[in-house]
Amino acid sequence: MQFKCNETLPERGTHIALKAAGGGCQRGDGTSCGIVSNSATTPGDMTERGCTYAGCRGVVGGPVKDAIQLTHGPIGCAFFSWGYRPHLADTDFHMKYTFVSDMKETNIVFGGEKKLLQSIIEANREFPEAKAVFVYNTCATALIGDDGRDVAKQAEEIIGKPVVFFECEGFKGVSQSMGHHVGNETIFRQLVGSIEPEGDFSRTINIVGDYNIKNDIRTFEYLFEALGLKIITRFTGNVGVDELRIMHKAALNVIHCQRSATYIADMMHDKYGTPAINVTLWGIKHMSQALRDTAKFFGLEAEAEEIIERELAKIQPKIDYYRERLKGKTVFIYQGGPRTWHWIELLRELGMETMTAATTFGHDDDYEKIFEQISEGAMMIDNPNVPEIEEILTKRRPDLFISGNKEKYLAYKLGVPFVNGHTYDTGPYAGFIGMVNFARDMDKALHAPIWGTLRNRARPAPAAHHSAHGFAHGFEEAD
Amino acid sequence: MSCVTLQDRAVAINPTRSCAPIGAMLANYGIHGAITINHGSQGCATYPRHQMARHFREPVEVATTSLTEKTTVYGGRNNLLAALKNIWERFHPTMIMVCSTCLSETIGDDIPGVIDEFKEKNPDITIPIMSVKTPSYIGTHTTGFDNFLTELANTMPERRKKKGETNGKINIIPGWVNPGDIRELKHIVREMGLHGLWLTDYSETLDGGYYEPRPHFARGGTTVEDLRSSAKSLATIALQRHIGGEAARVYERRHNVPAHILPMPIGLANTDAFVETLTEITDHAIPEALQVERARLLDALVDTHMFTTGLRVALYGDPDLLEGLTGLVAEMGMTPAYILTADERKPWAERMVELTQELGVESEIIIKGDLHELHKRIKANPVDLIIGHSKGKFISDAEKIPLIRLGFPVEDRFGYHRRSIVGYNGAISLVDEITNVVFERKATAVVSNTLLEIGVEGHTSIPFTFTNGSTNGKH
Ligand code: SF4
Ligand code: SF4
Repeated sequence: MQFKCNETLPERGTHIALKAAGGGCQRGDGTSCGIVSNSATTPGDMTERGCTYAGCRGVVGGPVKDAIQLTHGPIGCAFFSWGYRPHLADTDFHMKYTFVSDMKETNIVFGGEKKLLQSIIEANREFPEAKAVFVYNTCATALIGDDGRDVAKQAEEIIGKPVVFFECEGFKGVSQSMGHHVGNETIFRQLVGSIEPEGDFSRTINIVGDYNIKNDIRTFEYLFEALGLKIITRFTGNVGVDELRIMHKAALNVIHCQRSATYIADMMHDKYGTPAINVTLWGIKHMSQALRDTAKFFGLEAEAEEIIERELAKIQPKIDYYRERLKGKTVFIYQGGPRTWHWIELLRELGMETMTAATTFGHDDDYEKIFEQISEGAMMIDNPNVPEIEEILTKRRPDLFISGNKEKYLAYKLGVPFVNGHTYDTGPYAGFIGMVNFARDMDKALHAPIWGTLRNRARPAPAAHHSAHGFAHGFEEAD
Repeated sequence: MSCVTLQDRAVAINPTRSCAPIGAMLANYGIHGAITINHGSQGCATYPRHQMARHFREPVEVATTSLTEKTTVYGGRNNLLAALKNIWERFHPTMIMVCSTCLSETIGDDIPGVIDEFKEKNPDITIPIMSVKTPSYIGTHTTGFDNFLTELANTMPERRKKKGETNGKINIIPGWVNPGDIRELKHIVREMGLHGLWLTDYSETLDGGYYEPRPHFARGGTTVEDLRSSAKSLATIALQRHIGGEAARVYERRHNVPAHILPMPIGLANTDAFVETLTEITDHAIPEALQVERARLLDALVDTHMFTTGLRVALYGDPDLLEGLTGLVAEMGMTPAYILTADERKPWAERMVELTQELGVESEIIIKGDLHELHKRIKANPVDLIIGHSKGKFISDAEKIPLIRLGFPVEDRFGYHRRSIVGYNGAISLVDEITNVVFERKATAVVSNTLLEIGVEGHTSIPFTFTNGSTNGKH
């Protein structure tokens, strides 16, 4: 399995594998072992990967709805991570506001600690109702050696509420994945267990690793509640600081994203003995299984079956309708991590086949799960770059591409139907009812008349005429 | 008289500005077949890409040297060398621009040195490889764009072979505008019967069409060949003082190309200044078509003035945009009550004081400002309209004051990058849009083309009580 665009970059072959006939693995470099993942990106690649800060500020810390989200660094990191990921909550302070210590040249030369301290105090003064201040470190401030931990401690004393310092400087890891880890570790160390509420927690769970993208939570929270369970903490989506602080009280951790949030469940297991189960909250089979596994833990099996039956009856006619329209379609899924393997089964339930599966920051265990599930002839690829994605879209020609906003317009320029799996075109996509939305969006993407129009009526780029009148300039077809 | 406020807060809350690399990346998109390598950690490339994709709705491709903790300790030289090779071999671009980040600047990587080393090792690679300094702890996103242009002016043009040699063109530096704006400027230049050399031109590369097959490089953009010849142009016109003004001066100093540095051509007077400069440079008369457009703008201003005169508006964004916009806002009879920028340059603020005085309006000019500050001002003393980029929507939503979207980024609406706010035509559309927003907001019962207002509008301190008990107050 070699890409034309990788002719001069043989090392990319180790990140690509084909599931050969008989189920064997054929890696791009000719060997037969699993692919290399979670390693440094090839310099010069147009990678879709973000930085450690992005994983921490954007993914794990950002959804906490009543914390001041303060970036310690120069302006850009804060501006770009502000308000675009739809991790919704029942309030929107966390979406509407971003705070930054706004490092200037003098701060870079003489240190930014003073300005950070002042920033925390001022931010708190402007929004005294906030429950905590989350401070995220960036590349420049880490390099100059600002002691953010110490500043956070001082600030905490002054403002009298938690100041949580995340050491998530962008260059720390090879992708945003490291940022998830830092986020988990820091929230656990600084917040979890810092309040000891009274009461009976024997029928409570935490949902770990759901970010409430476009209100995903609404598609499954009611199912757990129907079981008679109470969700105390959602790590992290529609969650407040105080809920994080009592997270350790839950009887069970239900882990959804098993890349970005397993860390905190593991730490809770070690320190508090909290048991955990892994679930997938997408698709009929997995969502049902999630309810069954959770119910089993609490001895509520019969209730679970009832709920599942009731819910399936509601959606089945719709699923059948969409399955009829979607079956036989081939898909290229490219998601951050686990969603790729979460969705292979969901797509199968709709009669679709994943023919290429990629992740931005998956680790070995993610690729093992993908490999297990894909069919012979399907391919998986780690951290694909722009030319590789383009080659997959043009040469393997999937019927549908499920990826994120950055890749969307590339797909469109190549005439490939696309569904935004990161932030959802409409959403939510989780749970039973969300699956109907997902199927509807895929149907819309695949059957929109525009593709026929393109096929029949699109034309080649006109020969560029010269700039005589200030028009666009000449260019040559280099392909 | 207008006054200047320097926002005095350490923490920035809801900034109006982003960082320098995105400016250089945007400018580089205006060169046909050029590719950007961002020298830093991945976030600094991926974030701006994502931001640009949300604004332009186009694939935006930027390479990164992907520095990590390890490479940071030893310096980024090897990563940059590998990246240059990677990009060259895979894309065969016409040019490579390497911009730095806070990270690579702080560790002190010598980017030009590494580029020289790369060129020495690969003598067969003859494309220009330009290095632009873009640490974002200095200035704003506009600084990156401006640094790119200055670097370009310093390194790309070839000297005239003999005195007086000319390409017959005019260098035009539009600054940080939208593809639609560049097309409008081209229209003006074309109508004048002149040839522009655009520094740079992303009117098509970032607002492209659908072609089958997809061209290897996006259509459009100024060619490297044209950049080379830009020292032979008749003049340089920079249409934003802070983005390209310095580059225009470099052309003048190094290559004797006269510099004309003008306000951004928004509104009648500012567009006139641009058109008149074109006539001065070339002796070409203003053509019929532009005269008609100009007259149409005057007509639009007349038609709408009863609905716009006296409105208080808040403007925020980059200095040049604000300067141009203030012109149109005043021409429409509105008062730019607040003019807020993240920029810290005092001379600009002082010029704005003079400008508002000349225009007969009174403003508070806030520098080093952020949107939270603007929000507080608006809460205390409301306005009728807010004009700026998408990030102002939070104020607009909270205070129920309409937001006229322009500038960068407009990420919560489609197609704004295709619009134009410059030239006579751009002004006409803006006048219409603003007036229509006023209509939508106030005309609860539009009979035909007049407003039926409920109660007393305008900012009055005289309380007025309706029969239903509500007060008109301030909205
Ligand atoms: S580190 Fe600097 S260059 Fe990178 S995103 Fe942050 S502000 Fe921008
Ligand atoms: S500077 Fe570092 S933390 Fe900020 S966006 Fe860039 S890589 Fe991420």
